[in-house]
Amino acid sequence: MISINFPFYGAVIIILWIMGLLLLGISYKQKSFFKVSMLLFFIGWIVIIGFVIQLWSFLDRPPMKTLGETRLWYAAFLPLIGFLSYERWKYKWLLAYTITMATLFLVINLLNPEAYSKTLMPALQSPWFIPHVLVYLISYAVLTASSVVAVKGWYDNYHKKFEIKSLKLADNLVYIGFSFLTLGLLFGALWAKEAWGHYWTWDPKEVWAFLTWMGYLMYIHYRHFHTQKTTQALGILAFAFVLLLGCWFGVNYLPVANTSVHTYTNY
Amino acid sequence: MSENQQKIQRNFWEKPWGYVESFLIGTGLIFVGFSIEYFVPNAVENSLVFPYNTIFLVGYIFLLFLLYKKDDSNPLINWFTKVPATISSIFLLTLLVMLMGIIPQVPTKNFWVQRLGLNHMTSNWAFLCIVFQLLTCLGFVTIKRIAQFKWNNTGFILNHLGLFLILAIGFIGRGDMQRLRVTTNEGQLSRMGVDENKNQVELPFGLFLKSFTIDQYPPKLALVNLNTGDVANKQSENLYLIEKGGQYTFDHLEVTVDNHLPSAGKIGSKYEAVNEEGSPPAAFIRVKNNENDSILKGWISCGSYRYPYEYIKINDAYAIVMTIPEIKRYRSEIEIVIPNEPVINTLLEVNKPFNYRGWKIYQLDYDEKKGKWSKKSVLELVKDPWLPFIYVGVFMMTLGAVFMFWTGNKITNKD
Repeated sequence: MISINFPFYGAVIIILWIMGLLLLGISYKQKSFFKVSMLLFFIGWIVIIGFVIQLWSFLDRPPMKTLGETRLWYAAFLPLIGFLSYERWKYKWLLAYTITMATLFLVINLLNPEAYSKTLMPALQSPWFIPHVLVYLISYAVLTASSVVAVKGWYDNYHKKFEIKSLKLADNLVYIGFSFLTLGLLFGALWAKEAWGHYWTWDPKEVWAFLTWMGYLMYIHYRHFHTQKTTQALGILAFAFVLLLGCWFGVNYLPVANTSVHTYTNY
Repeated sequence: MSENQQKIQRNFWEKPWGYVESFLIGTGLIFVGFSIEYFVPNAVENSLVFPYNTIFLVGYIFLLFLLYKKDDSNPLINWFTKVPATISSIFLLTLLVMLMGIIPQVPTKNFWVQRLGLNHMTSNWAFLCIVFQLLTCLGFVTIKRIAQFKWNNTGFILNHLGLFLILAIGFIGRGDMQRLRVTTNEGQLSRMGVDENKNQVELPFGLFLKSFTIDQYPPKLALVNLNTGDVANKQSENLYLIEKGGQYTFDHLEVTVDNHLPSAGKIGSKYEAVNEEGSPPAAFIRVKNNENDSILKGWISCGSYRYPYEYIKINDAYAIVMTIPEIKRYRSEIEIVIPNEPVINTLLEVNKPFNYRGWKIYQLDYDEKKGKWSKKSVLELVKDPWLPFIYVGVFMMTLGAVFMFWTGNKITNKD
């Protein structure tokens, strides 16, 4: 029987990634360190993918039920987004950000251990379970990457060296992330019709999912029309990300959570 | 469509209307909506039904085409096709939905919340006004792009027309949707259901519940912190599905399950296999403490609505308990009964509804207090005649999302 030891694997991945981040920092002065940092990031990523596969096999069900499990997938997707974005845009800070966020979420998981439960309630036994959750987590990872542009943008604005190019990066990421977000919303509606009788019931999770969708919709439309207005675009981008976090986590901690059919964390 | 760097000195209400005008129109609409709501409260029951809603929808779409064709230089029509109108209506809709997320959507004694309809937002006139504004924007921009007859507008049209369909039909068609909740009991025929307004409604056909079955996972063994009531030792595996003969480790404790009775009753100081209603599972376990080599033995049970639970205390802070078995599957074997027609047998489960004559029958709930001994099964009948149109909209938006991915993927720093 496979045993599962997240603290060990989590620690290994975190150490690899922190070492990689340090070397990445040094590589700004010493270019040769960059390849080593990439290697460390990549090895850490292989380990996390391996752990996810192991967890799936151990639990005998898709590991997508609890908050901790979704955080794990998020930490697995983020570095991939980082690698792919670096490939196109060559921004080291974006790569660093995705790895840092992934590391942060692994730390959150280490600090919030959950009971490993192999059970899956009837509502989640559906062919829609995997596509709906996966697509949402991919979109969250991509949109998180876009959110860093807002942070860096304000920093650059403050130092008066803002590049309009970084907003193009945000556009690239938001369009992709938003397309996955839309699919997640639609899959959820189609699933809801099969499971609960109606495709949209304004359940708290659905309300926040809708708000998140609206937030990024505003960003896309604003950018389409006002390509030169950077501060406002950055503001909308940051606001939309806050809505995303509200949808992912906020709902589970709101008092209204136990009226929502989307909360599955029990033990 | 890109902005000039120069600030053009523009008069108020001079074409093209910008954000100030947009937010004025939007908030004006909301204000009008709330005023109407104050005097003439709306409710979902008042939704248009067939054929009035169809006439309204067709008329509205026709009007959009007509207005666009005849007068697209009109400042109002022009405004609808531009981004300030879109962004202001998205923003105001977002605000109203946020209110919906904060204010519980239930009847309340708070005068303003009730009177302004803040607790039934989706049928509130102000909400409907702003949805209508957004819908009109969507309508006009879609018509504008379709009229250009260019292939590279495909993604745009799919997304905007898809959303238009979903929103328009979602709101305009909801009067025709019926949802009836039916509580059935084993061996009984049900002919009545309850609708969303708690009215008793006769069902379109009879439902006979032949049997209701629940499959459970085995109960779990857990080490619990008696002070917090929470499962202890979460860093490693800490919840085990019980099996007879199983051996499990909790930190320095080794637990062996000598006996597991899925359905048991306490006789004297022991548990025996008993197949009565309300008989919970029980297990005889041996707990070896590796720190001091002591062994504790005894029966544990999760209890049920009829019988109490029992656990083994390790010390003042910890105990080994048996958790209530979780539900794996529940299903109703039903017969659909129509006069002068053969009965139809089917099995209803969560995620597997049954379609019959325009109605979809869902397995909803059961008597949770009785759990696996529930003789009651709650079903839901849903009729949604506009659903195919919603699916068309969903399909369009799905394709539209693929286009968005494609477009987004083409954005590089070389543009």
